[in-house]
Amino acid sequence: MATTKYMENTSNPLNTEASDETLIGQFKAGNTEAFDFLYHRHLPSVYKRVRYVVPENDVEDVTQEIFIAAIKSLPSFRGDSQFSTWLRTLTNHKVAEFYRRRTRKQEPMLAPLSDANAKIIGNTSKSMEERVYLQRALHELPENYREVLLLRFTEDLQFNEIADLTNQNLEATKSLFRRAVAALRAHLDK
Amino acid sequence: MSQLDHNKDNQLADFADKAMQGKLNNPASSSDAELVRLEETILRLKNTLPSKAPDAATSKQMLVRLKARIKREESEKIPFWKKLFNFQSNPQVGMILAVAMILIIAVITVPSLELGGGAVTGTASNTTNLLIGGGLIGILVLIYWISRRK
Repeated sequence: MATTKYMENTSNPLNTEASDETLIGQFKAGNTEAFDFLYHRHLPSVYKRVRYVVPENDVEDVTQEIFIAAIKSLPSFRGDSQFSTWLRTLTNHKVAEFYRRRTRKQEPMLAPLSDANAKIIGNTSKSMEERVYLQRALHELPENYREVLLLRFTEDLQFNEIADLTNQNLEATKSLFRRAVAALRAHLDK
Repeated sequence: MSQLDHNKDNQLADFADKAMQGKLNNPASSSDAELVRLEETILRLKNTLPSKAPDAATSKQMLVRLKARIKREESEKIPFWKKLFNFQSNPQVGMILAVAMILIIAVITVPSLELGGGAVTGTASNTTNLLIGGGLIGILVLIYWISRRK
């Protein structure tokens, strides 16, 4: 199994500047250290995205699940899309799975607010409540609205980069962004 | 799309760019109430939701914890059949088993409810049905019992 293979250490020297494709190739060839490089390279974007939409207490857990799923799926990764795009899709799936699990376990609308009680250093309960409130509103947005906001705010992509990534023109992307912010505002005003 | 909408799209996009660069902390479009509300929402998002990536030390610690979790999960692997029959995480399987039981009971009981004209009431086919049905129910109960064992 992929995760078992990952835990068996082989230590071929790796070039830290190697592309994702090269590292994936090396990982598939049995050099598990290649995954560590991929992990350190992509953790910031995955972590920021997860932290933006998932309650603080669950951020690391969900992040771990994403990378475990990546280790398991990498052997079948064919490189049809960029690794970062593939990982972004995987992240969205895992976040959706997190909320599905949560909905099954408890009442969905009450669940996130309970996290406002979590004691996190540097956060007042009011700012935590606001954060949970915003996360809930983001979660309720249609996927294309949520995605354009996440690309702009968590990955700090420029609008032309978002347009390229989503195969839209720049005007359509900016229009989508404005509609997404308006929809978010409407959710917050409810 | 009207020119006005197009202008608003551009204004809001510019505002978001500047807000992300930390150049703006207040709404900029004081003349347009709708834009002001949207700009406030952008500032609210930017100021409330965290956008910092973990530092190098935290990343390393997280990788260590990830590897520990993988190791733990590898050593605690649950057999496939046990996962399948874990009805708490797999309620669909429980439902399928319940439907299967109902079908088996129906298969057993329906022939005996037929208004046959024969002189012999307990026919061979009924006995066979009962045996097959009983056997299947026994197997299902056994699977359920095994899946409940810790």
